[in-house]
Amino acid sequence: MSLLEVTGLKKTYSTRFGAQKVEALKNVCFSVEEGEFIAIMGESGSGKTTLLNILAALDRPTGGTVMLGGRDMSKIKESSLAAFRRDNLGYVFQEFNLLDTFTVEDNIYLPLVLAGKPFKEMQAKLMNVSQRLGISALLKKYPYEISGGQKQRAAVARAMITDPMMILADEPTGALDSRSSDDLLRLFGEVNKSGMTIIMVTHSTKAASVASRVLFIRDGEVYHQLYRGGDSDDGFYQRISDTLTLLATGGEQK
Amino acid sequence: MKIFLYPRLALDGIRKNARLYLPYIMTCVGMVVMRYIIDFLSFSESIREIRGGDIIASIMMLGAWVMTAFACLFLFYTNSFLIRRRKKEFGLYNILGMEKKNIARVLFWETAITAAISIGAGLFFGILLSKLAELGLRFVMKSEVSYDFSVPLGSVAKTAAIFLVIYLLIYLNTLRQLSFSQAVDLVKSESYGEKPPKGNAFVGLLGLVMLAAAYAIAVIVENPLSAIPAFFIAVLLVIGGTYLLMIAGSVIFCRMLQKNRRFYYTPKHFVSVSSMVYRMKRNGAGLASICILATMVLVMVSSTTSLYFGVNDTINGRYPREIDCIFDGVSEETMAPGGSALLQGVRDEIAGVLKENSCEAGDIIDYRYAYTAGMLDGDRVNVDPASADPLGMSLSISGLYEFFFVPLEEYNAIMGAREELSDGEALMYLPRAEYPYDTISFEHGREFAVKKIDWFTPPGVSTMSIVPSIFLIVPDVPSAVEGICDIANYYGGQMVDYHWFYAFDTGLDAKMQPDVRRAVNQKLKDLDGISASMVEGREEEKIYAYSINGGLFCLGIILSIVFLFATVLIIYYKQLSEGYEDRARFGIMKKVGMTDREIQRSVNSQLLTVFFLPLIPAGVHMLFAFPMICRLLKLLNYGNALVFAFATALSFLVFSAFYAAVYKITSNAYVKIVSGTEG
Repeated sequence: MSLLEVTGLKKTYSTRFGAQKVEALKNVCFSVEEGEFIAIMGESGSGKTTLLNILAALDRPTGGTVMLGGRDMSKIKESSLAAFRRDNLGYVFQEFNLLDTFTVEDNIYLPLVLAGKPFKEMQAKLMNVSQRLGISALLKKYPYEISGGQKQRAAVARAMITDPMMILADEPTGALDSRSSDDLLRLFGEVNKSGMTIIMVTHSTKAASVASRVLFIRDGEVYHQLYRGGDSDDGFYQRISDTLTLLATGGEQK
Repeated sequence: MKIFLYPRLALDGIRKNARLYLPYIMTCVGMVVMRYIIDFLSFSESIREIRGGDIIASIMMLGAWVMTAFACLFLFYTNSFLIRRRKKEFGLYNILGMEKKNIARVLFWETAITAAISIGAGLFFGILLSKLAELGLRFVMKSEVSYDFSVPLGSVAKTAAIFLVIYLLIYLNTLRQLSFSQAVDLVKSESYGEKPPKGNAFVGLLGLVMLAAAYAIAVIVENPLSAIPAFFIAVLLVIGGTYLLMIAGSVIFCRMLQKNRRFYYTPKHFVSVSSMVYRMKRNGAGLASICILATMVLVMVSSTTSLYFGVNDTINGRYPREIDCIFDGVSEETMAPGGSALLQGVRDEIAGVLKENSCEAGDIIDYRYAYTAGMLDGDRVNVDPASADPLGMSLSISGLYEFFFVPLEEYNAIMGAREELSDGEALMYLPRAEYPYDTISFEHGREFAVKKIDWFTPPGVSTMSIVPSIFLIVPDVPSAVEGICDIANYYGGQMVDYHWFYAFDTGLDAKMQPDVRRAVNQKLKDLDGISASMVEGREEEKIYAYSINGGLFCLGIILSIVFLFATVLIIYYKQLSEGYEDRARFGIMKKVGMTDREIQRSVNSQLLTVFFLPLIPAGVHMLFAFPMICRLLKLLNYGNALVFAFATALSFLVFSAFYAAVYKITSNAYVKIVSGTEG
């Protein structure tokens, strides 16, 4: 059984008086196996962020089902949704979303503290995660004291510390310079190799080229997907790039 | 069409920011109402007609200036808050191509609309409520009710003019802020990174020491006389200490909480403690101000209330009987034992006057006394000003006491006692001081073995003196003051004066008493040989006491209401602005997995702390100020600690209740803001 199974996902936004309806997602179906690294690409307004928000339980779908680890997410009660998200999903944001009132260490602890874990356990997990991400030296600093790339690593640490079923990333390289982007993508690759499932929404072909599979979303549907196969990063990059060109020029390739 | 563009934009701006503008306009209205009412009370003809009304008028005049200054400061403060909140909007207008000139016009209309509403509504409600205030004042002054209704145009015009000027100043200040800022700054002005605060341990410790010193002064200083300068020192120390402690101490305290990992890393404390550190840094001063304001309100209300409700006690102490006469220049012959008989002629004259007014003296207090003043050091008294205070500057009046030598025969007669004393012995009564020794000895004079007694009726004047008095009951007054009666005072006269105190009730009702007093006074002026220095009537004095204390009481209440509203509005705005800042923060936490309930709980614990934190030190301040204020009130001859304690507790409770209500409102607004359901 797949880790994540999305079938017939639909999301309709209505304007304030319900007069006009906008279909952000029409009929999205795909599944993710454990240990995969998925990149979701698409133009602005194609519905990819909506999709990620639904996967992250930040938003509820209008129709269709999302099964995570065999559990139907639409059956989870509103009140326990936040706890579910906290315990099972790690989220990495474009704008890092670190809290400026906390040190890096406390920022990473946040989900564990909210889950009411004892401090000893939290500390052990932090040691482990910070070593893997190479941020041990930054723990006592405040977000305003560190660079964008470092902030994003801290955010990844925060997403990983709960040992989630998967990590969701929304344009994680969007606010980084190219070097920090490369570092972060390499990091994602390593994390993925250690067994973590990652789903990443991105605009960047470069970012997508480190993934094991790329989903292309257009007009609220999964329009196309590419598997890495045996390609190198560069080779995969080329194929993604070609696909995007085709999509943009309106070519059909199914 | 274009003419209406700016007013329309302005009106829109106010309407869209109702959450900010509504409290602001309401405060403005409140300020105008209060300013008008105080002005009305100080100029109203109908108040001036009341006996003692001129005292009220001058008290209110003073209050009017306090009110004006406060309104000016406070409206500036709230307005600067509004402008800060709206800079972003103006920046957007600017970027969209609106020139600063145009923004200035929009702002002009906004200020004009606010001014029109608040002055209009303020005067309307002010005029409406002024009669109520007048009736309230008449009530506390125990004056009769009047039914006429007047609107002094002078007060209306003055109030309107004052607030127009304030609004003009506010507008100019807004323009100044606008012209110094660039469009980009305007858009950005809300979001800038901030260093986490580091508590300065030294500053916090200093604050703690200052508070401890102030509290120690308040508790230790026993002598009411030295209490006055000590009180001022203590007040300064408390203000300084509160600021330092709130600014530095609270950050240190939160840091300590953060160090305690088992406490800190729990869902309940994690978020609230960490954001509190930030709160304290930025709001330490604000919280301290709130705390000081709250303490001021409490002290003001409780002491004016006590004074007002203590008028009867005070007056009864000051004027032990309905008519009180004090005679100066009593001869030494009369002061000698048995000399009281020489005054029988005067007593008969007074009885004659009373008979003409168809009443007679009852409950008579009748005693002679010798008066002197001196510096008390241990059990020794120095009455010689030349050696006790050689420079004649009276730099320190602590240690200064007034001494009253009263003949034993009168003491026994008044108190119905049968005390017997031999030469060199004395009974001692100290109404407002402690005396731990068994003897008292006068330099240049005699020494007495003393036995303390619990009660004696002092001549009223002594109760009004800020200097504590010591009564010595002796068998023979002239021999008791031997040696000191020849010492010269500053003016070349003698340090010891002989007096006679004669006070009685008439049994007449309050309206008749003043006439009788005047008649007695007239009669005693015409006597040969002895003259009354004072003939006082309790009822007449009571009216003045009620005007002064009633006026202070009213002003105290009015100003307290104003301060109270100001305090809560400061908190309201503070919380609101924090809500806007916190919104992003709570958004992140929600995404990371904080439930709505956890957010609500965290918000509640934060608000509770920010709200009630200033109240706790205010309460502690009051607790320690209590003994000192009691002593100061004693100086005003108001000794009823129980009433004062009750007044203090009641003011604290009312204050807290009001506070809690505003807390509820604020917390609702805050939650709406951070959960993003409101603009």
